[in-house]
Amino acid sequence: MTASSDAGATADHDDVVTLADVRKTYDVGGTVEALAGVSLSLPTGSYTAVMGPSGSGKSTLLNLIGALDTPTAGRVAVAGEEVSAVSERARAALRGTEIGFVFQTFNLLARLTAVENVGLPLVFAGVPRAERRDRARELLAEVGLGDRTDHHPTELSGGQRQRVAIARALVADPALVLADEPTGNVDTETGSRVLDVFDRLHAAGNTILLVTHERHVAERADRIVHVRDGELERIETLDGGERCD
Amino acid sequence: MRLIESVRIAWRSIRSHRLRSALTVLGLVIGIASVVVFATFGASIEAEIVGDIEGSSASNVYVFATPADDEDGGFDQVVQPAFTERDVEALASLPGVTAAIPRGTVDANSLTHGEDTVARQRVTATTPATFDEDRIVAGRGFRSGSAEVVLNERAARTFAENVTVGDRLTLSLSGNQTRDLRVVGIVNGTAGGLPVSDFAEGSRVYVPVDPFYRTVVESPSVGVRQRAYPQVTVVTDPTGIEATRTAVATYLDEESDARLLVPAGTEPTARTSGDFAARISSVIDRVTRFVTGVAVIGLVVGAIGIANIMLVSVTERTREIGVMKAVGARNRDVLVLFLVESGLLGAVGAVLALPVGIGVGYAATRYAEVGFTLAPGWMATAVGVGVAVGVLAGLYPAWRAARVDPIDALRYE
Repeated sequence: MTASSDAGATADHDDVVTLADVRKTYDVGGTVEALAGVSLSLPTGSYTAVMGPSGSGKSTLLNLIGALDTPTAGRVAVAGEEVSAVSERARAALRGTEIGFVFQTFNLLARLTAVENVGLPLVFAGVPRAERRDRARELLAEVGLGDRTDHHPTELSGGQRQRVAIARALVADPALVLADEPTGNVDTETGSRVLDVFDRLHAAGNTILLVTHERHVAERADRIVHVRDGELERIETLDGGERCD
Repeated sequence: MRLIESVRIAWRSIRSHRLRSALTVLGLVIGIASVVVFATFGASIEAEIVGDIEGSSASNVYVFATPADDEDGGFDQVVQPAFTERDVEALASLPGVTAAIPRGTVDANSLTHGEDTVARQRVTATTPATFDEDRIVAGRGFRSGSAEVVLNERAARTFAENVTVGDRLTLSLSGNQTRDLRVVGIVNGTAGGLPVSDFAEGSRVYVPVDPFYRTVVESPSVGVRQRAYPQVTVVTDPTGIEATRTAVATYLDEESDARLLVPAGTEPTARTSGDFAARISSVIDRVTRFVTGVAVIGLVVGAIGIANIMLVSVTERTREIGVMKAVGARNRDVLVLFLVESGLLGAVGAVLALPVGIGVGYAATRYAEVGFTLAPGWMATAVGVGVAVGVLAGLYPAWRAARVDPIDALRYE
């Protein structure tokens, strides 16, 4: 597994995500450059952690890769789709089918049961109800919540909620799982179990991008992308060596 | 996203705020129900009155003088005696006419039954043809040229002791003359009266024209003095009523004595009970529309309630909208979701308002002692307006929801 930054700029069929010289500026009174030319690719099946201090641009990076936002300049391709070139409608479809989000605060809908929360992405994809339920139950069983399917989020612990959120992220069988500080709202032990779930997903061949500011969380990945001041500082490969960019 | 899913999710959302949803719906229920109540009540009154008029007098053409500028089928009657005996005979001999019943009043002072005397300013003078078999309650109609009298039921009850057939009455006329009369019949209406007298039935005393009616004028066509009446009722077959009306109108315009005798600025007119019903209908209609329009204000208030609650809902659920967008909801899905929710509130309001409105409308008609008539057009409108109001009120909030930026929304606390 090679971490490639410049080489990955050319489209590679094995890459789920390709970023080529991506820039993002915000106009808030003055111009703020959140990303100043980032190139990065995520090969299929890779597990990448993004680390950086707050304000480093890692959230912007996540929003771009998650097709929630479009770059000011440069290319962002996710699962073969050019994010900046497609309509809002197509980006929504991309988020629904190719990207699975896991948030720090879980972001489950309180009114829906675990099984309904997990099935939510499939609602917008037009999947029939019975099929959604079966798929959601299957995934809940996989994350160890087979006996909690009809509970509402408020009846679940933090760790359980995050596992429901992970099941939701996987329900559409996405090309990429995006996790934003997934252990930020749970205690260390629960966080460790949540990370175990990611390990299992990785082992099963899922492509994962995880944003964190905690070193021990990032070390679960097979490489760490360090971001600072809107630029890639270095990419650290964890199967031994470390490579500066 | 399928519509059924939108409905399901919207319904969940409505149910999760039971009290809030119930109050919002209540506002709309009051609005729609008041529209239904007033419309129903108006329709019932109209049906009652029009039914009375048409049911009792579908075969009558009413002939009297009206102001010449009265173009809209009015019944502003001029009481000048203008229709002579000759006119009455001519009208009676028109094709299809069964009878022409003249009607006039005789000035009086009082009426005495036994020891009991009541003041009475006038009695009605008419001919025996005015008595319809179906409307005679007891006895028979009077005979021409006799000292007989017929009372309607209300007049029969005016005295301390109810008047019955065979009783004697003493009529005191103006000029201190008195006449002894024998009561030969009690009726609950006559063919010759204007339709209005049927539902606002006063006390009526009928005497024969001969010998009691003394108002005479010189007939311009025959040149002799003869009796003249302010009103004549032409009885015909209900199916031929329009033809008869035309014939009557032609006669009045071209040959009648009345056209020369009516006061300046007036003209003899032929009207049917249909005209009368239409006239009453249009008046009641106008009142109903006005009152219903006032009730529509309630509907608008209900709509504002929905808009308000939907705006609150959008703000409250900003994060939820962000989540839905992150997991693949398109702007359109979010828009539809909120529109369906507000539309559902409107529909629920409308569905609940219908029975409430009909129920209260029914109670109102019972209270007013009129028959109950539904106004299906208004009811359909009320329901349609309810749903439309819901959707319209939800339009802006839904648009706001659809435009929520998922990045901001996910960060929203």
